[in-house]
Order: sequence, then C-alpha cells, then structure tokens
Amino acid sequence: MSVEALRSEDLRKIYTQRGAPPVTALAGVSLNVHRGERVALLGRNGAGKTTFLKIASTLLRPTSGTIEVFGHDVGRAPEKARPYIAVVPQEGKPFFHLTPREQVYTYLRARGLGREVARSRTEESLERMGLTEFADRLAITLSGGQRQRTMVATVIATEAPLLFLDEPSIGMDPFARRDVWESLRNLTRRGSTILLTTHYLDEAEALSDRLYIIERGEVLVTGTSEDLKRSVGGTLKVSLAGGARVVESFRSFGSCVADGEHLTVIVAPERLGELMELAVRSHLTATVGPVTLEEAFLRVVGRSINED
Amino acid sequence: MRTSAAEGAAVPFRGLAAFLWTEVLVQAHENLAMATSIVVQGVLLVFVWILAPSLIGVALVGAVLFSMFAMGQRVLNEAAYIRIDHKANDLYLAGPLSPEAYFLGMSLGILVVYLTPVVAVGVLAEVVIRFSLVEAATLLLLALAVWVFAASIGYVFSTFFRDNRAIWAYSSLFFNVFGVLPPVFYPFDRFPAGLQPVALLMPPSAAAAILQNAIGATSLSSGELSLAVFGLAAESTLLFLLAILWARRTVQEV
Ligand SMILES: Nc1ncnc2c1ncn2[C@@H]1O[C@H](COP(=O)(O)OP(=O)(O)O)[C@@H](O)[C@H]1O
Ligand SMILES: [Mg+2]
Repeated sequence: MSVEALRSEDLRKIYTQRGAPPVTALAGVSLNVHRGERVALLGRNGAGKTTFLKIASTLLRPTSGTIEVFGHDVGRAPEKARPYIAVVPQEGKPFFHLTPREQVYTYLRARGLGREVARSRTEESLERMGLTEFADRLAITLSGGQRQRTMVATVIATEAPLLFLDEPSIGMDPFARRDVWESLRNLTRRGSTILLTTHYLDEAEALSDRLYIIERGEVLVTGTSEDLKRSVGGTLKVSLAGGARVVESFRSFGSCVADGEHLTVIVAPERLGELMELAVRSHLTATVGPVTLEEAFLRVVGRSINED
Repeated sequence: MRTSAAEGAAVPFRGLAAFLWTEVLVQAHENLAMATSIVVQGVLLVFVWILAPSLIGVALVGAVLFSMFAMGQRVLNEAAYIRIDHKANDLYLAGPLSPEAYFLGMSLGILVVYLTPVVAVGVLAEVVIRFSLVEAATLLLLALAVWVFAASIGYVFSTFFRDNRAIWAYSSLFFNVFGVLPPVFYPFDRFPAGLQPVALLMPPSAAAAILQNAIGATSLSSGELSLAVFGLAAESTLLFLLAILWARRTVQEV
C-alpha cells in the first residue's frame, strides 16, 4: 500500500507570544491528501489555513499531533520531507531585481535541477502562466497580478511531488486564474499532488477533487463540492424579488436567506414546481439557478457560527 | 511514481552555487548602493589624511577590514528583508535547497557584488604600504575571518526580527561599536590601555591590530598577539558553525 501524499492527525497549533494571550490556530486537524489529488482548504480569514500549510510545508512547528509528507514526519524530520515539496507562500513576492525568467530559472537551479531541464521547464512555465511577454522585465516593473503569476510560475515549474499554494490566485484577473487552474490540472496529470487555499469558491469548485472547510482551527466538513452543495438541502436556488416580506411561507421548502427585499431559497428539484406555484400566487418574480459552492459555504459556515 | 528524484535528502550545502548566483543577480542591480558602500570608509580616510597623513597606510588597511565587516550588516538587512517582505524563506527553504546554502549563498553573493570597491582600497593600501607577500596573505586571511564573523552574526541576528524597520536602529549600532569606535582606522596603541583587551576580542580591531603589528605600525606583546589571533580564529569559526546550525534550526518557526 502506498503512503498518502499528506496525512495529519489531531494537529494542533497554539501561538504563544510574550505579553499576549495564547491563540489556538489549529484545534486538532486530521486530514489527508491522496497522491495525485487536488484538495482545497477553505475557511474564513483566521480559520487556520495558512497555519496548516506552514506546518505541512515544514516552516512551522506544530504544538502537538502528527503530520507526514509521503510518510516522512514533518515535525521530527523536516529535512526528509523538503525534497518532495514546493510552496507558494501567502503574500510572497518574487525578487524585485530579477526578471520572471531569471526568477523561475534560478529557483529551479537552487533546487538542484540541471541546466537543460531548468531551462525548458522555465520556458514552459512562463508560457503557461502567460508571462512570455513580460519574461524579461524586472519584477519591480510588473503589476501585482503579474508578480503573483511569477510566483506561481516559479513553483509549478518545480513539478514537485507535493505543492502547497496559499491563495495562489489572489489579485489575478479571470484569465490568469484560469491559467493557474489549467497549470495545476496539468501538474496532477503528471503525478503531482496539490493542496491549496482560496477564497474564490468558483476556483475551489473548478479545481479541486475534494475540499475541506476549516473553521476556528477545526475541520467542519470534507467532501467534493457536490457533496457540500447537497448537504445544504438542495441543488437549486430560487431568488424571489420582494420575497423577504413573506419569508415564513417559504421556510418549509428549505434554507431561506433574506437579503434586503430579496429572498433566496434553496430547494430540492422535486419541490421546485410547488415552490414556483406559491411564488406566482404571491405575485413574486422568481429566478432559478444552481446552488453555488459559495452559497453552500456561507450556509455551512454560517450554521456553525450560529451554533455558538 | 515521481518521488524518486527526491531521494537522498538533506545534502549539506546543496544548492549553494545556484543560490549564490541568484543573490549576485539580485544585488548586481543596485549600482548606487555599490558606490555608496564605500562612503563611510572614504570619509574616515579623508579625516586621517588631513589630521595624520603618516597614518594613511594604517587607515587604508583598516578600511579594507571595516568593509569586510560591513558586509555582515548587508547580510543582516538582506536576510531580514527577503524573509519578511518577500517570504523568500518560505519559497526557498520549503524545498531541497539546504538552509546553510541559503545563508552562505546569500552572504557570498553579497560579497561578490560589493567586493570591487574593497579591492580598490586594498590596491591603494598596497601602493602606500608595499606589502611583502606574507603581509598581503595575512591581510587576505584576516579579511576573510572578519567577513565570516560578520556574515554569520548578521544572519543569526536577522532571524530575531519581525519588522524591517526595527533593524535600522540596530544596524548602525553594530557598525559603529564594532567598526568605527575601536582601533580599526587608527593604531591600536592609541586606544585606552585599559580597554585594549576588549579591542583584541572584537574581530575587526583584532584583525587590524594583527596587521598593524605585522607592518610595524603598532607593537603587540606576544600575549596580545596570541589573544588577537586565537580570539579571531575562535570567534569566526564558532560564529560560522553557530550560523549554520541556526540556519537549519530557524527554517521551522516555533
Ligand atoms: N504568528 C502568529 N502569532 C499569533 N497568532 C497568529 C500568528 N499567525 C497567525 N495567528 C492567528 O492564528 C489564527 C489562524 O491564522 P491563519 O492560519 O493565518 O488563518 P487563515 O490563513 O485561515 O486566514 C488567526 O487567529 C491568527 O490571528
Ligand atoms: Mg491565510
């Protein structure tokens, strides 16, 4: 049996600082990422995503629990895990006085790749990330999104067995984001494994085989985005203009959220006809669409917040 | 399975040459900084030339040693800056590049780029003093020891900061207490006698004293000379080893 690409068990991290109360960033996270999988870690700001990625990528010591990369204990023998991994850090920047071409190439060389491989991977990666046009400009003259593309190009060029990407598409335009998705899909086709965080739920949906939602340092749910959407009670979403007034009459159909005048109801397909009849009788204009991952996320995390 | 390339983990100094080259490329764009790196030394040389022209040889040698020491401050600033502002530690150290290659590559890269003005001062010193071969070799060795000490302490120190701004206050302290105040630019025997042992334990002034002794600009007792030589050797070696261990340890924050 082959070992998991990543496996954590009851991983805890408590930040302690002089003169400040301790912060529990991870309160026992158990998760695993199979080889060749693309997994997204979702959660609100401060949920613990970066903390998890930093521990997994050998940059932060856990307080307790275990975590392994390809069977190597990250806490105890980080140097054994390092050759397998590459990281796009949150808010990382390329060297300002290197061009994207130099950044990617020298990075690969520093990781021990030979000249020829490094050169061809650099060109391929720059092209994939749409950087060919800017490849010979110093990073200091590039826009924020172009710099971020350079960071992603640098890391995907490694083709490392396990890649960690912390908000890799932040600040990117919709085209660049799709370049990232395509590049990451291509990497897993070649055998790499990917764990990423993102606040773009369409990205998580388009990209990940599986996702974990983390809230206050704990895993709230895991599954595919379809699983998650089903878990909120339906796969269709009906928006009712002016429906906020009559929210009570729609409660029986499923989860209702009023937003100003509008009412959004999540409903199972079998009950759609019944709901539409009620809408017509109530003189409401209805728009039907699929439930998005974002809506499922809002409901799942919202429910957890309300429970406390 | 594509993990086979990853076997043979943790090779000491793996990636050194490549990271050195990266740092050279990064630093080589800073033309102005290269020119200004020699300003303090130049000003002190002018002072000496006006106030005591006969000591200009001593001061030129001091300027070489001081410059090597100042490289350490560049390591301090650079290591902290790329870690804090660029997250370069996360990018580079979560991977097969060894931490000691990161530290040493960065330090050597800075050295390579900023060495030119130092060599110019060294040549000037040669013109004035007319070193013997042994004296020239001694100067080289001392310069190397001072640099190793400074780069090591600079890297270790850099790991304590979470904010670049906090460093500014310390860097000038560093510079002045080790480099300007003690007898680096002026003869060792002019330093207050009670404090001379202290100067012999500070790498830049220890190196200066050894060299001044060699060229007859000051005269050290054999005890003083041993203190300077062994002190400098021990401090440089220990700090270098510490920096390597520290570089390995601090990849993983606590
Ligand atoms: N160095 C630190 N010291 C103290 N608390 C921290 C530190 N880093 C993160 N935290 C806290 O840990 C929690 C999780 O942070 P983080 O992992 O960055 O969240 P996320 O990436 O999900 O937004 C937050 O409450 C944050 O304030
Ligand atoms: Mg984060």
